[in-house]
Amino acid sequence: MKTEYLLSNKFKIPGWILLILGLVLGVYESYAEFESDIFVTKVLAVFSSGLGFLGSSSEENNTFFRIIENSIIDEIAALAIIFGGLLVGFSREKVEDEFIYKLRKDSLVWAIIFNYVILALTVVFVYEFSFFNVLVYNMFTPLLFFIIRFNFLKARA
Amino acid sequence: MKNNIKIERARHDMTQADLADKIGVSRQSINAIEKGKYIPSALLAIKIAQLFKLSVEELFFPEPGE
Repeated sequence: MKTEYLLSNKFKIPGWILLILGLVLGVYESYAEFESDIFVTKVLAVFSSGLGFLGSSSEENNTFFRIIENSIIDEIAALAIIFGGLLVGFSREKVEDEFIYKLRKDSLVWAIIFNYVILALTVVFVYEFSFFNVLVYNMFTPLLFFIIRFNFLKARA
Repeated sequence: MKNNIKIERARHDMTQADLADKIGVSRQSINAIEKGKYIPSALLAIKIAQLFKLSVEELFFPEPGE
């Protein structure tokens, strides 16, 4: 069956490599509290609140289109997880057919519902700065839950 | 919906992988269809029936109440 929105199967392995690399970097970064000083370089900040994410920034500290210095290791990790995850999740299987496509769709529905149930629970039960961590992980969990669920269903079928 | 694919496979001495190869689908699909976990599209049902030289009705039949 011809299915839209899917990439060629040859993107699967590069996707896994990128995803695993991103996850390793991401785990390292979360241990370094997102403040490592590797790969510090000048970047263009479209919006910057001056005093950092949770600093007591007042509105006059806000700047637009400013060149700032930043360690780009967390950006690399995030992009690797996002693009690696997309390649893994949305490239064709070796034999892509209607049943595999159904598994993929079912896994997506499951992942979105599961992700938001977990998020809703953390909204109720996690407070203050810990919730910032929840938000960081939640950028990636829909994609990761989907990939895990899809591969689990495929292995079980 | 029930089906006789497993019986027909045995009659033709085919494994799930053999059948999957001939039809051009994944082995998982054949397994899921055999177990009744997945109802194939009309196109796939016809392809399987044609391979065994049967009509679709001889291979697939709805369960009572369906």
